[in-house]
Amino acid sequence: MRLTASSRIIAAAAALCLLSAAVLAQESSQPRRTTNAPPKPSGPTPRTADGRPDLTGVWNALGDNLNGIPNQIANNGLAIESDRSTRDLHSGRQVATFPRNTTRPQNNEQAERAAALLRRVGSNRPVYKPEYWEMVKNFDHNANEEDPSNNCMPAGIPRAGIPSYIGQMPTYLIFIYPGQGGLIATQTMYRMIPTDGRTHTPLQEIDGSYTGEAIGHWEGDTLVVDSWGFNSNTWFDQIGGYFHSENMHVIERFRREGNTLTWTATVHDPDVLLEPWTTTPRVALLNARPNALLPESLPCSERDLSHIVTKEHH
Amino acid sequence: MTRVRIGALLTVSLCGAALAGQASAHHSIQAQFDINKHITVSGTVARVEFINPHSYLTVNVKDADGKVTRWAFEMAAAGQLRRAGLSRADRGGLKAGDEVTVIALAARDGSNSGLLQELKVADGREFKFTPDPNGN
Repeated sequence: MRLTASSRIIAAAAALCLLSAAVLAQESSQPRRTTNAPPKPSGPTPRTADGRPDLTGVWNALGDNLNGIPNQIANNGLAIESDRSTRDLHSGRQVATFPRNTTRPQNNEQAERAAALLRRVGSNRPVYKPEYWEMVKNFDHNANEEDPSNNCMPAGIPRAGIPSYIGQMPTYLIFIYPGQGGLIATQTMYRMIPTDGRTHTPLQEIDGSYTGEAIGHWEGDTLVVDSWGFNSNTWFDQIGGYFHSENMHVIERFRREGNTLTWTATVHDPDVLLEPWTTTPRVALLNARPNALLPESLPCSERDLSHIVTKEHH
Repeated sequence: MTRVRIGALLTVSLCGAALAGQASAHHSIQAQFDINKHITVSGTVARVEFINPHSYLTVNVKDADGKVTRWAFEMAAAGQLRRAGLSRADRGGLKAGDEVTVIALAARDGSNSGLLQELKVADGREFKFTPDPNGN
């Protein structure tokens, strides 16, 4: 289903509060950022003994919150480039942004609604078969009840995005995704991804799971992670009610350049989609501290959704 | 079980002031809380829990008849709580039985819950929080 970006004005209003939110998120341990544009790489790209780029590291320096989650806000396909402009990273289109008001704080109502609207301006949307348009719309409208990853359940793949930690061994990788307590409420996930040349189990023989059966291989300097064997209990993007079938097949690509890691995921699900859909590239920044560790993530216990009285949501 | 040591006072006041600061969470703030209605609740700390998606402060509140009710307050993100020293009782945090007054946004469903904005401890310490969308 292709949803149109209906209001540039609303987007512009929303951008200013999202910017301040993004800045606020950096305050604990990172230099103050004035934009959430994808970072440019710097420094050398380390390589393993077999010559591959070494993806090992804690990749949370953009968000770098105490839960270790890579920046969620920069990952909506919109880069807030200044106080006055936002760029849709998929279309390249610029969206006017109202000057950020730093002298008068917004109240919760204004900030929350503006941020929610801005998240919906991104132009990169999956295209569903027409018979599912109403279903997607209803899921989105009723997301407080319907979002399967907002009640301490796993975010699933590819909704989890970039892992906060990657450990690269000669024949496998370990990905860790700490549970999130920001825009969604999820439990911690991990993946062990072999790169030993094995092939997939036939799909019909796999018990569906939240992370699927993942197998990695290298295409030049790009790590390609091919996953299938999912259950149908997750959505595949951050907003929008984008459900999938248990026949979903996800191809993720990871490319390290210096201290950055660029990620895309392509969702193949001919059961429900008219065509494969690829995320707008996301970029994570390596935690620069040489002794950086991933902190324990908080346990998840959701206590709010039963007290929600309106349909309002992100 | 925490023993209620004081007769607690429960007052509810209306406040029309706009809130300062950035707000977001895994749920819409205004879908759950009345951003224009503050409540003030006094009682004793039952427990403090650092959890996702929101940490919680549970308070035992005794009414004039001595009946104890339990209130649950959603708190600021864990990072803010840690920086405020609230993750350890011996570093200036809370422990069960501490006498506290909580100023919170009222729950719109009328339940004994709220979104904590200010926390006042009987020994004079005061904490103020604004929600952060990224869990910091």
